[in-house]
Amino acid sequence: MMNYLAAYRSLLDLVLINALLAFSQYVVLRAGVFSIATAGLASIGAYTAANAVVSWGWPAPLGLLSAMLLATAAALLIAVPLARLRGVFQAIATLAFVQLVLSVTQNATSLTGGALGMNGIPRWATTPILLGAVTVALYGLWRLGRSWIGRAFDTIRQDETVAVSLGIDVSRTHLLAFGLSGALAGLGGGLDAYHGYSITPDAFGFRLLVACLTFVVLGGRVSPWGPLIGAAILTVLPEVARPFRDYALLVHGALLILTITYLPDGVADTIGRRIRDRRLRRPGLAHAAPVA
Amino acid sequence: MFAQQLLNGIVVGSVYSLFALGFTLVFGINHVLNLAHGAVFTLGAFAALYAITLLDLPLPVAALLAVLAGGLASVLLDLVCFRPLRNRQAPEFAAIVSSIGAGLILTSLAQQVSATQVMRFPFGTFPVVVWRVWGLRIQLLQLVIIGSVAVIVVALLLYLYRTELGRQVRAVAISGRTAQLLGINPAMVFAQVFFIAGALAGAAGVLIGLAFNSVHYVMGEPLLLRAFVVVVLGGMGSIGGAVTAGLLLGVVQSLSVAYASSGVADALIFGLLFLVLLVRPAGLFGSGVVAARVVRA
Repeated sequence: MMNYLAAYRSLLDLVLINALLAFSQYVVLRAGVFSIATAGLASIGAYTAANAVVSWGWPAPLGLLSAMLLATAAALLIAVPLARLRGVFQAIATLAFVQLVLSVTQNATSLTGGALGMNGIPRWATTPILLGAVTVALYGLWRLGRSWIGRAFDTIRQDETVAVSLGIDVSRTHLLAFGLSGALAGLGGGLDAYHGYSITPDAFGFRLLVACLTFVVLGGRVSPWGPLIGAAILTVLPEVARPFRDYALLVHGALLILTITYLPDGVADTIGRRIRDRRLRRPGLAHAAPVA
Repeated sequence: MFAQQLLNGIVVGSVYSLFALGFTLVFGINHVLNLAHGAVFTLGAFAALYAITLLDLPLPVAALLAVLAGGLASVLLDLVCFRPLRNRQAPEFAAIVSSIGAGLILTSLAQQVSATQVMRFPFGTFPVVVWRVWGLRIQLLQLVIIGSVAVIVVALLLYLYRTELGRQVRAVAISGRTAQLLGINPAMVFAQVFFIAGALAGAAGVLIGLAFNSVHYVMGEPLLLRAFVVVVLGGMGSIGGAVTAGLLLGVVQSLSVAYASSGVADALIFGLLFLVLLVRPAGLFGSGVVAARVVRA
């Protein structure tokens, strides 16, 4: 049994790192911001973390902290001008941000090693550390979702005009969502750098952006379990179904279309709603509080 | 040197315009950001290449086949990805996600078919004819590219502004419901628009494949990213804007690659995109007003 677990340990690590990036994408989507900046922010986090250890000789935890701080700062920086944009335009602007980060990391050779990336990063992010990070993030997001902030997120996502009429400060809430998304992306990117020994600019491009979006769409955009479930399914699926491995992208694509067409709320939120409906239908519990 | 780069930029830019036209048409009429447009472009290039290498067809027939393949794939895309969402009145987020999925499927299929290889058109597919005018190196292929783009753009404008069908398309673009009240079938209009957009992408695929003589499964991705820049600069849904911005982008890119590096070119282009979105989201050539359709779920 232990051997069996050990064989799948790297897969578990991958699920956990992907889950952190999915959380980053989830926060903005829940707040009704169509930002797809997660890949770029994760890139900033990964390169900060890698440089902190390799070039500047900092201890890994400090490197991780600076990765989170820098990614948060970058997210807040783009959030201010992005407050003017909505919907599709937000998506395009953040896509431009991801491309900008990509071309900078490919060309600032002294800082990032150029297109070849950075190698020889010591592995610090072991499974328990990753597990801890995901647990803390999940708990934090769950608590946040049940607080006034989560309610503000949900209101803005469903109808911005209603949110304003209820006295919710939309731009400040968006700023908060962006900052959180940056911190989570920085954490995910930093841990990725401390896990995989090497990082390359291409790893944080269009492909990752699509993957993060897929995790959240498949999992669900309201409950924080959604991104975790989405990341788990999409990371494990190509490994379990080995014959499908060459067609991993095809399966990703088909899942995206099928989910958004037939299960638009995602796996976790659909299941959550079913459970809630059943509970509400039971006699005596008609006034049970809805679960976030 | 400068004039040569200018010419090269105009050639590449005209193909960018062609590609972005379909993209902006779909956005202007269906209000959908079709992220699978790049994959349709790849499909066009693949169709032409295989028609020439496997079926031994002459280039004009192969190009026609590519245009048809692009158009049909695009209509299929509308049926599978967008129509169910449209019927449910899903938010724009859903359509974008669905088109990303379709793009992944097409790209993955192209990867399997081509075994991840970069393919070339066989030698002599297009005659290599070069003229030298005042130290400028002009290829026949370049003239053919500019010429065919010009013909296609004029044909598109005539279709949209001089025919009954074009009038219907423009009516649906303004308001689908009102158009329906006037007896127009929006489903037919959407199918037409998607066919035209796909056909334009297919044509662009053949032209880019010939210009760089390289066909591979991810060739659509950089073009899609550039199409974003073109449609934002030119104004979402604007045809004249897309053409102008496409040419401008081609020239800026080719000059900055020549005088700096391709990395600087990318940073410049996407920095410009970011800046224009913030300062003037309606685009440089669009009207001052942009309707921000915020539909969410």
